[in-house]
Amino acid sequence: MHCKKETLWGWILVSPLALGLTVWVAFPLGVAISTSLFKWNMISKPIFVGLQNYSFMLFGDHLFWQALKVTLVFTLTSVPLQMLLAFAAALLLNTQVRGMGVFRTIFYLPALIPIMVSTALWMFLYNPQYGLFNLILDNLGLPTLQWLLDSATVIPSLIIMSLWSIGNVVIIFLAGLQGIPKELEEACIIDGGNYWQRMRAVILPQMSPIIFYNLVMGIIGGLQTFTQPYIMTNGGPSNASLTLMLHLYKQAFNFSKMGYANALAVVLLLMTIAVSLLVFRSSRSWVYYEGDRK
Amino acid sequence: MKRTLNRCLVYVALLFGATFCLLPFLWQLRSSIMTMPELFSYPPKLLPADPQWKNYRDVFAVMPFGRYYLNTIILVLWNIAGVLFSNISIAFALTRLRFKGRNLLFALSIGTLMIPTSVTMIPTFIEWSWFGGLNTFLPLIVPSFFGNAFFIFLLVQFFRTIPFDFDEAALIDGASYPRIMVQIILPMAKPIVAVMVIFTFLNTWNDFMGPLLFLNDQKLYTLALGLKSLLSSYNSYWHILMAAATLVVLPLIVVFFLGQKSFIAGLTMGGIKG
Amino acid sequence: MRRTALAICTALLAIGMATGIYAENVKLTFMFWGSPAEKDAITKACKDFEGANPGIEVTPLYAVYSGAEYDAKMKAMSESDTLPDCGYFASETIYSYAANDFFLDLTPYVKADNMEKDYLPQAWIKFKGKIIGAYTAAEAEVMYYNKDTLTKAGVPLPPTDYKKAWTWDEAVKYWTKLTVDTKGKHPGESGFDPKHIACFGVNHEVWTGMLWPRLWGNGGDIFTADAKDVLIDKPETIKAIQQLADLRNKYMVMSSPGLTEYNSTGKTDPKVLLQNGQIAFYVSGAWELLDFAKMDFPLGVGALPISKKPAQVYISGVNVVFNKTKHPAEAWKLQKWMMDPSKTTELYSGGLWMPTKSSWYTDKADLAKWLENPAHPKGFKEAVVDSMAVARNEPLNIKNSNQIISEYLNPELDKVWQGKDTAENAMKRAAAAIRKSGLLQGLWN
Repeated sequence: MHCKKETLWGWILVSPLALGLTVWVAFPLGVAISTSLFKWNMISKPIFVGLQNYSFMLFGDHLFWQALKVTLVFTLTSVPLQMLLAFAAALLLNTQVRGMGVFRTIFYLPALIPIMVSTALWMFLYNPQYGLFNLILDNLGLPTLQWLLDSATVIPSLIIMSLWSIGNVVIIFLAGLQGIPKELEEACIIDGGNYWQRMRAVILPQMSPIIFYNLVMGIIGGLQTFTQPYIMTNGGPSNASLTLMLHLYKQAFNFSKMGYANALAVVLLLMTIAVSLLVFRSSRSWVYYEGDRK
Repeated sequence: MKRTLNRCLVYVALLFGATFCLLPFLWQLRSSIMTMPELFSYPPKLLPADPQWKNYRDVFAVMPFGRYYLNTIILVLWNIAGVLFSNISIAFALTRLRFKGRNLLFALSIGTLMIPTSVTMIPTFIEWSWFGGLNTFLPLIVPSFFGNAFFIFLLVQFFRTIPFDFDEAALIDGASYPRIMVQIILPMAKPIVAVMVIFTFLNTWNDFMGPLLFLNDQKLYTLALGLKSLLSSYNSYWHILMAAATLVVLPLIVVFFLGQKSFIAGLTMGGIKG
Repeated sequence: MRRTALAICTALLAIGMATGIYAENVKLTFMFWGSPAEKDAITKACKDFEGANPGIEVTPLYAVYSGAEYDAKMKAMSESDTLPDCGYFASETIYSYAANDFFLDLTPYVKADNMEKDYLPQAWIKFKGKIIGAYTAAEAEVMYYNKDTLTKAGVPLPPTDYKKAWTWDEAVKYWTKLTVDTKGKHPGESGFDPKHIACFGVNHEVWTGMLWPRLWGNGGDIFTADAKDVLIDKPETIKAIQQLADLRNKYMVMSSPGLTEYNSTGKTDPKVLLQNGQIAFYVSGAWELLDFAKMDFPLGVGALPISKKPAQVYISGVNVVFNKTKHPAEAWKLQKWMMDPSKTTELYSGGLWMPTKSSWYTDKADLAKWLENPAHPKGFKEAVVDSMAVARNEPLNIKNSNQIISEYLNPELDKVWQGKDTAENAMKRAAAAIRKSGLLQGLWN
C-alpha cells in the first residue's frame, strides 16, 4: 500500500523534471542529431545527405581542426589555471580576517558583471594604444603587447580574462573548505603537523570531490567557450581565437549551413561526454568520498 | 610573532587579489563619469577632470531604462517562483520516495549539464513558435518551472544527509508526502533555498542570449539587451554604457553582499561531496 | 426611465462596437537596427507615416543587433512565421533569400507608381528581373579630417574635387608629416619612437566594405565579373592591399588596424580620436556624419586619394517587404515613405543617409535640403556626392561571397595587416585555397 502511494507521489512530484527532459532536452537533441544528416539553410527544404556533413568536417573543413586546436589549447590551459587560482583565493577567503564579507564580495564581483560589459571593458583594457594594461607595462619599462590584435597573443589574452571571473568556482571551493570537519584539522595540529602537512593529509583529500566537480564543470564550460571570442575578436585574427562553438555559430547563422552546424554540435557533445567520462574514470584514483554513497 | 606575519601575508595576498578583481570595475566607474573624448585620451587618465554625473541621467534619456529595469525584475521574480516550485519537489521525490526509474531520471538530469546550448537553441526556438510564445516572456520563465540540474543536484546531496526517521515519524502520524516535504524537510534546507534564490537572481538579471533570441518588441527588453543597444555596430556610446553598466550591477552587488553568508552556508550544506 | 437608459446604452455600445470593427486599423511591423539616434529618427518617421495615413498603425521593432545577428534573427523568425511586414535586411545575404522567395515582388507596385526612373539605378535590387528591394540609402566612403590638426602641422587641406584628389603617394607623404610621437618626431626621422605616438596621420577602416574603393582605384578586384574565379592574386589587387598594410607596418602612420571582420563592439571610437587630435584623418562611411554632427570641432571632408583612377563604393543596408506579409499594399506604402527623402528629411540632413532619389543629386533645391546644414561640411558635395557618378555597388550577387570572404580572404588579410606576411604571399595562398574550396559557384542572377 505504501509502495503504490509512494510511487504515485514520486511520479507526480518528479513530473516537471520528466516533462522538462522530454520537451527541452530530448526533442531538441533529436532535432539536432537528425538535422545533422541534412543540408539545410533554414529557408528552403532540407536535403538528406547522410553522413556527408561529418566526412566534410573531418576531411574538408580546414577550420574544424583549427577550431578544435584552439578550443583544446584554451580549455586545457585555462581550466587548471582557474582551479589553482580559485583554490588559493578560497583558502585566503577562509581565514579569520576582519572585513571578510567585503573581501568575498569583491572577489565575486567580476562574476556579477554582465557579459556584455565585461567583454567591452576588457577590450578597452587590452587596447594597444589607449588601454590600461599597456599603460602599466609601459610605466614599468616593459615592452607593450598587441593583446587581442595579434594571433600569437590573443589566446593568452583570453585566458587571462577568464581568470578574472572565477567567482563561482571560488565560492564553491570556499563552501567546501567550510564543510571540512574541524576535528580533522585539529587532530592534525595536535599531532604537530604544519600547514603543508595539513594540506596534504586533510584539506586536499576532503576537498577532492569538490575539485573533481569544479574540474568537470570547468572543462565542460571551457569546451563551450563562445561569448568572449564572439564579441571581442569574432574568431580572429586569422582564426587564432576561433573556438568550436564560435565556428558552429558562424556556420549556422553567418553562412546558413544549419545541417553542418548541427553536425558540429553533435561532435562537440560527444567530445564533452568523452572528456567527462575520462575525468570520471580517473577520479577513482584520486577522489576520496566519505560515508555512504547511494 | 609568526601569527602576525601570517596575518600580514594573508592581508597582502587578499589586497592583491582584490585589486585584480576590482581594477576593471574601477575603470568602468571612472569611465562612467567622463566625457567621450576624455575616455580615449592618451595617455589614459585615471580620474575625470569634471565628473559628468549627468551620464547617469542620460542613460534614461537614451533608452527606456526604467522599463528595462521593470521587465528584468518581473522575469527575476517569476524565475525564482519557478525554481522554488519545481526543484524542491523534484529533489524530494528523487531522494525520499522510492519508485522505478528514479536513478535514471537523476542521472539524465545531471547529464543535461553537458549539452552545449547551441544544440538546443534553434529547436527550442521552433518549439516556442508552435506554442505561440515568441516575443513574450514565456520562453524566459516557463523552463524554470521544469527543474534545474544544478539545483536538483545540490538539494539531492543535502536531502541524502537527512535521516529517514523524520519522515517515518510523520508518516506514522498520517501525514501526506507533500506535507512532509513542506513542513519538515523544507525548513531544514533554508540556506540552499538562499543559494537557489541568489543564483537565479544573478542568472536572470544578466541573461543575454535568451532575451536576444526571443524578444523583438522593445517594450519587453531587459537590461542586458539595453546594454547591448549601446554597443551597436556603428558607434558605441561608451560613457553612457559605463554608467548604465554600473546601474545594472549595483543591485547585484547589494544582493550578494547581504546574502553571501547564507549563500556560502547553503553551498556547504549542499555538500558537493559525493 | 431605466429601460430607456438601458436601451440608449445598448445602442451606443452597439454603435461603438460597429465603428470599432469598421475602424480596425491595419497593423504593420517595421524592423530595423541602428544607433539610438537612428532609432529615434526611424521611430519618428513611422509616427509621421501614421499621421499621414490614418487607418494604418506601424509598430517599429528595434533590433539591438545588426549584421549576422540580424540575419540569424530573420532566419529564426522565418522558421516560426513571425517575420515583420517590412524593414531592413542585411545586404550580404539578400540574394540567397531572394532565391527562396523571401521577398515581395515589388515590380507591379513600382510600375503602378511610376517610380523606377526617379531613383538612382543602383538603388533597386533586382533578382531575375523582379524588383525585390531597394537600398535604404546610398552610402559611400569618405575621408574625414580635423582642420585644426592639419593647420597646426602645416599641412595643406586636401582637395575636395574627387577627380583632382591627392595621389596615394602624396597622401602618404602628408600623413607622415602629421604622424608625430610624444617628443615631436616624425616617422623616418632618427629617434622616432613608434611605441609612443601622440598623433597618427590616418585611420583607414579595413573591413570589406571599405576596401572596395582602394581595390577598384588600383584596377584590382576580388571576384571576376562572372564570379567563377577570384582576382585577388592579380598584381593590381595585391598592390592595393599592400598599400593599406604599409600604412601601419612600413610608414607607421596608422595604429593597430583592428580586426578585418567588422566587429567594432568595444573598439575605441576613431571619431572621438579625430576630435581629440589623436588621429588626423579618418576614412570610413558617410553615415559617420550623424555622430560627427553632435561633436564640436572643425570637421573637414577631402576627396579620396587616387591611385590609378577615382573610385567609389555604393554600400548600404536594404529595405524589403517580406513575402509573407498580410498587407502588401500598406507595407509598400510604408516602404515608399521610407524611401522618400522629402518625408524623412532629418535622416538625410542629419547625416545618417545619402538619398537614393536621383533628383536629390541634381536638383539645386533638393540638394540644399539635405546638404546645406552644419552636419555636412563644405566640400562634401564635390568629394562624395559627385563621386557617386563612379560608384559601383558592393558585389552582393555572388554565391557564397560571404563565406569566401570570411573564411578564406579575411584570415589572410589579418596576417598582412599584422605585418606577418606580404600581401603577395597571402593573396596567392588565399586564391589557391578559394579555388580549391568549391565555393566559387557564380552569380545568383
